[in-house]
Amino acid sequence: MMNKKNIKLLKPSVFFILIFSIGVSCKKKGCMDPNASNYDPDAKKEAPCEYTDFDKSEMLTNICDNYIIPSYANFNTQTSLLKDKVTAFNNSPNTNSFVELKNQWQETLLAWQEVSFIDFGPAEYILLKNQVNLYPIDTALISTNINSGGNYNLESATNYDAKGLQALDYLLHQPLLNDQQHVDYFTNSSNAASYLNDITNDLTVNSQYIVNEWHSYQTNFKNGEETNAQGSPVSNLVNGLCSYYETYIRKGKIGLPLGVFNGFSQQEMPELVECYFQQQSLPSAIRAMESLKKYISGISYSTSQDGLGLDDYIAFTGATQNGSSLSVVINNQIDLIIDNLQQLNDPLSSEIMSNKPAVNECYSKMQQLVPYMKVDMTSALGVLITYQDNDGD
Amino acid sequence: MMFLSTIRFISNGWVKDLYVLPKYYFTYYGFDWVKPFSENSMYLMFGLLLICSIFIALGLFYRLSASIFFIVFTYIELIDKTNYLNHYYFISLISFVLIFLPANKYFSLDTYFKFTKRQYKIPAWNINIIKLQLGIVYFFAGIAKLNYHWLFEAQPLSNWLKHQTDLPLIGGLMHYNETAFVFSWGGALFDLLIPFVLLSKKTRIYGYMFVIIFHGLTSAMFPIGVFPFVMIISTLIFFSDQFHEKIIRFLKTIFRTKHRNKNVKETKEKFTLNKFSYFMLIAFISIQLLLPFRYLLYKGNLFWTEQGFRFSWRVMLIEKVGYAQFYVHEPKSGRKKLINTNDFLTGQQEKMMATQPDMILQFAHHLRDHYSDTTIIEKNGEKIYLNKPKVTAEVYVGLFNKGSKLFIDPNVNLSEIKRGYHSKSWILEYEK
Repeated sequence: MMNKKNIKLLKPSVFFILIFSIGVSCKKKGCMDPNASNYDPDAKKEAPCEYTDFDKSEMLTNICDNYIIPSYANFNTQTSLLKDKVTAFNNSPNTNSFVELKNQWQETLLAWQEVSFIDFGPAEYILLKNQVNLYPIDTALISTNINSGGNYNLESATNYDAKGLQALDYLLHQPLLNDQQHVDYFTNSSNAASYLNDITNDLTVNSQYIVNEWHSYQTNFKNGEETNAQGSPVSNLVNGLCSYYETYIRKGKIGLPLGVFNGFSQQEMPELVECYFQQQSLPSAIRAMESLKKYISGISYSTSQDGLGLDDYIAFTGATQNGSSLSVVINNQIDLIIDNLQQLNDPLSSEIMSNKPAVNECYSKMQQLVPYMKVDMTSALGVLITYQDNDGD
Repeated sequence: MMFLSTIRFISNGWVKDLYVLPKYYFTYYGFDWVKPFSENSMYLMFGLLLICSIFIALGLFYRLSASIFFIVFTYIELIDKTNYLNHYYFISLISFVLIFLPANKYFSLDTYFKFTKRQYKIPAWNINIIKLQLGIVYFFAGIAKLNYHWLFEAQPLSNWLKHQTDLPLIGGLMHYNETAFVFSWGGALFDLLIPFVLLSKKTRIYGYMFVIIFHGLTSAMFPIGVFPFVMIISTLIFFSDQFHEKIIRFLKTIFRTKHRNKNVKETKEKFTLNKFSYFMLIAFISIQLLLPFRYLLYKGNLFWTEQGFRFSWRVMLIEKVGYAQFYVHEPKSGRKKLINTNDFLTGQQEKMMATQPDMILQFAHHLRDHYSDTTIIEKNGEKIYLNKPKVTAEVYVGLFNKGSKLFIDPNVNLSEIKRGYHSKSWILEYEK
């Protein structure tokens, strides 16, 4: 009985072998692969394809050595300089040293924007983004801490919204106070002066921690090229980038204050902008987007030399969006966002109220980048935004 | 085998992640009554699976253990379709079949304790049905591969393989498109032919070598869990009874059981099924033969709409990622609120839902029910009463790296669309 069945069922298999051989012999000859280095769209005769192999390890090494390490080093330098300026100001409080302190705060904030989206590994262990630049800050808690006379633990998560660069934004740009009045405020309150010193010191501790950790972390990062599975460097890089962009740039910097997430009323929430007290939110947003573009493109932090980056990796996979190369589409979208941001005016908190259509337009450009990165980029790179294995269906 | 798998499931903390933490479960249409119990009861369920799998393997209280295993396992799988995997479906089917097989009649503790009479021969259909079941899995997985994307674009393999250039030995070949075609055609042929190769005595051993190579390779390349190992072990059933005798003899010498081997002679025995069993058997098999083809009843691209996709052995066929935003509308003023999906779903649920229309609809209904007949107090103090809110979704899906695009009609009111197996016309067309 079994033999009969066998013969019967062998027939279709012979049939499939036939189909297979026909299929192979009919396959169009010529190098039809747009990813090949010798790709010729008009080729009609057979020409063997040549490929430049994509070196993932080289990409990781480039991103690590030429962007991550130097940008973190710079952030660490800036926080140290900030600490120096705070010390200088506390030693001789006057409007000159105060303006110097404010300028260095601005530099440090911009240096932060350049590393903010490296949101994995050491930065993730200590929730760096929450410790360095959480907003809106809690001004009441800051006052309570200052008045407590040193009785606070800045490492505690409950104090994350009373410290960091945004707490400094408040302390250095208190409403209705001019420079001289700020100087007076800190000279009259030794508690406030030491709080200024403590939260600046906290920044240096965290930035130094990151630099130290990357010293050892980079070995695994550069050599983790075998897979893009969860926990691999490529997966960490892409997941950190996507989630930071989606939540902290698109939503945090523009969407939330614009009211997109504010229920049915969609009422603007201008007090949610970054640097609400300085009233200069756009430089940070623009710097974040410019740096994000460099990071994706594998451009060197210090020399601006273009090395292997995620954009080259995406190009290697041949992923397209609406007929164009995905890496080009993403790049253009980032340019468009920067362009839109540059057309807005600070203070952003007023612009949201007075020029809402322009901010809406900018937000919708930022929104469009989310599926490009979260859907198209992740699937091109074979990166899952997931925690559990699946069989692909 | 199932024991290890269950252990793996529990130790990875998946019980909690999948069956305790979610606030909402994507039930199967018609099985909406299947709900998870409390956290402790869920662990109890998995404990029960462990015990049953040991008892089945030992052949102790066999029929009872197999029944409980089937019921508990299927129950767990029915809770949430987020977790649907083809091999879980396979395990459910096999455990169902096992209930009716006298697998405890020869080398088992049931016979040792004389709960059941030892029997040296079982009807051939007992083994053949498992062979058939495995054959169906492979053959349909093969048929599913006979599509344009798989055969002529080598998708999704050509994309996946490009990230495998660091594999030992063959890694260097991975960036050639030809390699993807060889793997695609090879995979399809393997799936289609392997059941027949394993059936024939002459080719069986070579076939099994291919099974090991094929599943070993896929296991090394893709994060697909236990599936390859399930198949490698399961396909041993195709080997002759002499082969299994040898294994049993080997096991016996290890455990030094006192049982003496009696020579089993192959004699053909007449066996008749009663009509009812016969009917059940036919029904069981024909349902499985027909289910994978139900997609023909739906319009549109199967991979895009996924209507009739599950329970059809479509394994590793598509590269599909989605991103969904839901809006609840206030009909009176036409204002809408963007829903934070994280408030309702886990990351895994959100990810699986974003590409599957039936789940999108289910979640929209959940939102409708959640917001129906409620008063919402806005941050600015405004009170908004929702009677039966309109729910819409803006979903972007990318298939085979051709670029993300709108997946469903962003204007359609999902709260008024009925669930079910009818064609979903609100899915936008997939244009190549």
